[in-house]
Amino acid sequence: MFAEGLFIAFSALSVLGALGLVLFRHPMNGAMSLIVTMISLAGLYALLSAKLIFVLQLIVYAGAIMSLILFIIMFLNIQDSDLPEEKGRFYYLLGGLVAIIPIASFLIKLVKSIPESGTTIVGNGFGGVKEVGLVLFQDWLLPFEIVSILLLVALIGAVVLAGKRRMIK
Amino acid sequence: MIQDYLILSVILFSLGILGVFSRRNVFAVFMSIELMLNAANLAFLAFSRLHESMDGHVLAMMVMAVAASEAALALAVVILLHKHKGKLDTNVFSVLKG
Repeated sequence: MFAEGLFIAFSALSVLGALGLVLFRHPMNGAMSLIVTMISLAGLYALLSAKLIFVLQLIVYAGAIMSLILFIIMFLNIQDSDLPEEKGRFYYLLGGLVAIIPIASFLIKLVKSIPESGTTIVGNGFGGVKEVGLVLFQDWLLPFEIVSILLLVALIGAVVLAGKRRMIK
Repeated sequence: MIQDYLILSVILFSLGILGVFSRRNVFAVFMSIELMLNAANLAFLAFSRLHESMDGHVLAMMVMAVAASEAALALAVVILLHKHKGKLDTNVFSVLKG
């Protein structure tokens, strides 16, 4: 019962944050509401007894990535006059809704056909660091190495793109 | 129940697609993509809980790594674009069409 209340609270918060991201005009407000979404999603991960991913969501997503985005938004010092005029965005929103709602309702119908299952907390260290690490380094070793190469490429690319001080023409 | 988590994931993903559709601010589009990645993560973890196997957790970690590298590259491109054009409009990105 308590877990269901927590689920309702977290899911309402995350949907509200996502709505704020779509509707706020200034990117700073959007980033703040996205942080609300990230933190409530971390709570949902904890309810799904994914302990390691809960911590990683808080540290990596809500901590590192979002603070990077906030840092860049503040670094560019965006005024209201710099923002693109988005006059027709509510029409685009309506058109997108018309396109999305059939697909989403189909997916929801599909999801409802999944067999019933409880979401009580699983014991035996499910989702702990040791267990996930065992799966990661036994079954997923090659994808792990490929992801590390991807991170290296992104690092070099970011340094090449933004690090060099170029001559301004 | 698992279905509720998956329905929430569908809703968040749809909101992310709506954000990409309707906004012209680069940051809003970028953060909508992050929102879609998060919705995919939620679906991974819900299915992982349903089958009580931990492969979904590993995949969620990899999605996080992809999101981090995407953030680094995309923000570098946004900084360059803002330096050259002084705008944050996605229409300015049409110079990348080639």
